[in-house]
Amino acid sequence: MKCHVPGANVKVLARTVHALARFGDELYLESLPDCILLRTLNAAESAYAMVKFNKNFFSYFNYNFYSTEDNEGLKCKISMKSALNTFKSPAHIEKQVENLEIKLDPESCKLIFQLKCRHGIVKTHFVSILDCKAMQAVYTKDSVPNRISSPQRILSDALSNFQSSDDQVTLEATSHSLILRNYIDCSIDLTKVIRTQISLKPAEFDSYLIGADTTITFSLKEFRALLTFSEALNLPLQLHFETTGRPAVFIVHNGTTFEAHFVLATTKPDNASQTTATQNTNVERNKRKDTSTLGSAKKKPHLETDISKCLDEDSHLFNFVDMPGENEINLSNKLSGSIIKDNVNGKDRIDLMDCDNIPASPAARTMIKSVFKRCFESTFDPRSIQGAVLAENSDSD
Amino acid sequence: MDSGKTLCSLLKAIQFQESAVFCALPEGLKLTVEEGKCVQASAYVPSDNFTEYHVRDDVDVMFKISIAVLSECLNIFGSGEESSLKMYYRGEGSPLLLVLQPQSMYNVMTDCEISTQTADSVLELRDEDAEEVAKLVLKAPAFLGLLADIERSCEVFELNLSPEHPNVSIVTYGMQDRSCIDMPKSSDMVQSFSCESPVTLRYQLHHIRSIMKALAISTKVVLRCSSNGLMLLQLKLEKEDQRQMFSEFYIVPLLDD
Amino acid sequence: MKFRAVMIDAGPMREFSNVVTIISKLSKECVLRLTDDHLYFIVSEENSGPSPPVLWCEIPQRMFCSEYQMIGLDEEHKDIYMALSSGNLARSLVTLKTAKSLKMKLTKKQCPCLTLEIETPCVLSQQTRQVTHDIPVTVIPRKLWSDYHEPRIPDPDISIELPSLKQLRTTIDRMRTMASEVVIRASAEGRLTLQIKTDMAKVSTRFKGLNVEAFAGPIEHSDSETEETQANEDMSRICYCRVDAKKLSMFLSAEQIASNRTVCSVVHKKLVILCLQTDENVKLQCFISGIVY
Repeated sequence: MKCHVPGANVKVLARTVHALARFGDELYLESLPDCILLRTLNAAESAYAMVKFNKNFFSYFNYNFYSTEDNEGLKCKISMKSALNTFKSPAHIEKQVENLEIKLDPESCKLIFQLKCRHGIVKTHFVSILDCKAMQAVYTKDSVPNRISSPQRILSDALSNFQSSDDQVTLEATSHSLILRNYIDCSIDLTKVIRTQISLKPAEFDSYLIGADTTITFSLKEFRALLTFSEALNLPLQLHFETTGRPAVFIVHNGTTFEAHFVLATTKPDNASQTTATQNTNVERNKRKDTSTLGSAKKKPHLETDISKCLDEDSHLFNFVDMPGENEINLSNKLSGSIIKDNVNGKDRIDLMDCDNIPASPAARTMIKSVFKRCFESTFDPRSIQGAVLAENSDSD
Repeated sequence: MDSGKTLCSLLKAIQFQESAVFCALPEGLKLTVEEGKCVQASAYVPSDNFTEYHVRDDVDVMFKISIAVLSECLNIFGSGEESSLKMYYRGEGSPLLLVLQPQSMYNVMTDCEISTQTADSVLELRDEDAEEVAKLVLKAPAFLGLLADIERSCEVFELNLSPEHPNVSIVTYGMQDRSCIDMPKSSDMVQSFSCESPVTLRYQLHHIRSIMKALAISTKVVLRCSSNGLMLLQLKLEKEDQRQMFSEFYIVPLLDD
Repeated sequence: MKFRAVMIDAGPMREFSNVVTIISKLSKECVLRLTDDHLYFIVSEENSGPSPPVLWCEIPQRMFCSEYQMIGLDEEHKDIYMALSSGNLARSLVTLKTAKSLKMKLTKKQCPCLTLEIETPCVLSQQTRQVTHDIPVTVIPRKLWSDYHEPRIPDPDISIELPSLKQLRTTIDRMRTMASEVVIRASAEGRLTLQIKTDMAKVSTRFKGLNVEAFAGPIEHSDSETEETQANEDMSRICYCRVDAKKLSMFLSAEQIASNRTVCSVVHKKLVILCLQTDENVKLQCFISGIVY
């Protein structure tokens, strides 16, 4: 792969890396005929980010430069720290960098980032490739009942009312209002913590569609990171979400050159302790009793994995993957794998189609040296199912 | 002097050790700080920066003083304030006396007595026999920008100088990666460059980084490498009134194992 | 017990936010006492962190609130005393500077809370949105009320008006890096000196021409103390007190709200009292006890 990023867009790439760095420690890069995808996943597997840069983002784009086999782009994983080191200070980058070249060096197995800066200075970073695989997550974006499009300022303004020590936020969406509350874990001493609640009106947003009243809770750290990202690039934010427990998808795009999806897993909030409406003490005591008995039950994870849905997708996309027999085996292994994973952790996770987890498919052994061996794992695209109007992802037949 | 502000900034720039050797020479004041045997930094204030400057020339006026205390005292009215400064030193064993008066307020003044000690001798790092193999003159803010960009966790700063393109190349090694900054002599950042034959020198990154505070207040930096690897960085600070102050850093290279 | 107050004026709201911020810098916890006429913020030695100064802040309710209702414990004990985290309150009030109104009331959620309802303007439209903060408080039982009465202090030996607090704070902060204690010397001639002395240095900052509010007669000094004097000073008209530099610096951060007058009263060797008054008539008093060897 080899591509050139013109000066103005380098800042977008820098902001992307900084945002992704708040999500995960490893950066996955994949080059496809018409775009480049950057992805990351956090350690707890509860937050995923994917940013797609279309061909027109680049001034020169050759996705399989150096490839020995045709149609094979680059799939690799690099350390997030290395990526951050390359794009050190985004504010600076805007003023200094004229051009960026990203290319793969097949000999040394390194990804080379070369920044041509003002005054004739050239900065080159030789980044080691940690592994050669791709990573993708399954999530629904378009068939969700609840969609809000908002200028990011509204949300970041609302968030400024929360304490920096708050780490999760609950969003309660109805057709009349959107209420944001800081989420308090049952285990924290209530006498020490401030509870904050903000009510936003639908009229404040660019578009507000709540098909089903929902309450979702997700992590503030990643939410703040994605808000910072949309603020830096001065772009609005779209929220797509459905019922409690299903991941919420946040989208930032500029309509033409890039699109970013941030997917955060959600949990069911503990209702009794969350509401700030003043309650009659008797009622309160009763409610508390109820929640304490339900406490253990609530902690049990929700298995929102819709297995049949996955299978449909798979069969649909099997058509373009080479080795049908092996893929069937792989898929069932994968599914059982993901079910097991969900049971381990109370928080619901996004289904993770991690190519590397596929066991025992002999030809699929990818090693660092064999960058160009075809990745035999299925790399289906979840979004093609719903007839989503997306320019990209024309990999499906 | 009318304003001790610049002097204070200069002292802060070399303040990476507790004490400094204060020398009052006929030409001006020089304060020197040493870290181990690897880095030696000096601040030099030529006498024309002072409105009045009297030094005995029959003896070496030299003593050891806490540079931290000295810069706090110089800054006693805050960095936003220009204060006039008077310094007095009677002789061996006497404290250094400072009198400061802020320009904007008439009813306040501060006097300080800072205790002094006998100075240890200053290590002479310069080797008269080693010749200069390369010289690079750069604009200080530009060089600061480059240094700031280098990943702090790297240990080694490798400098490659050569008459061929690219003339100046700084390489740093991370855990698994390598980063390289190339600066051709044609760049606007380079004011002059001379190098006879290619040379590669290695230094500890954190020693090189110790010049950053001084770079931030200077206008120009001259980098000289001698054949024994010793690097001398000379930084010039030009004030509004055209007077100049200087800081100097000698850095010892890493020896190859 | 019931409490409800509403603030709608921008000036008082801004000042309220500033006052609470300063209190939070001085101490993590404080006591809020509500009476019919005033809100008091009280900080005392036992409460919090590494012994902060004792602080007493009076806010006249009428200058701040457009509505103010309270019902105390009973007919004889009309006040309400509650303990809360000043940090929590300060952080919640940060948005008060641009807010349209503030409503404070005592509520009972999972525990007794001071609920703040702040109406803030929306970013992009003319409308307002409501932000609610519930700050947990502990109601203080009547038997402990006597701990929080206005401190009774001995008459000061001298009261002198201080120069710009900002200036003082800069200087004290520089001195703090060199020594932990500072000696404040005030003379009836209108001179104030801040002095530190360590093995490494002796630094004195001298202010003159300050306004002396009151001077309670000649000060007695023992002979050993007179060695420090300058030749022309009359020791009977000078008193001093040694205090912790950090405490002094923390109080001086109140420079943000000080209007024009801050008076420093000194009880020779025993106590330093700093008293300031703001534009909206808030009175803030800080008591720093002297260090005696």
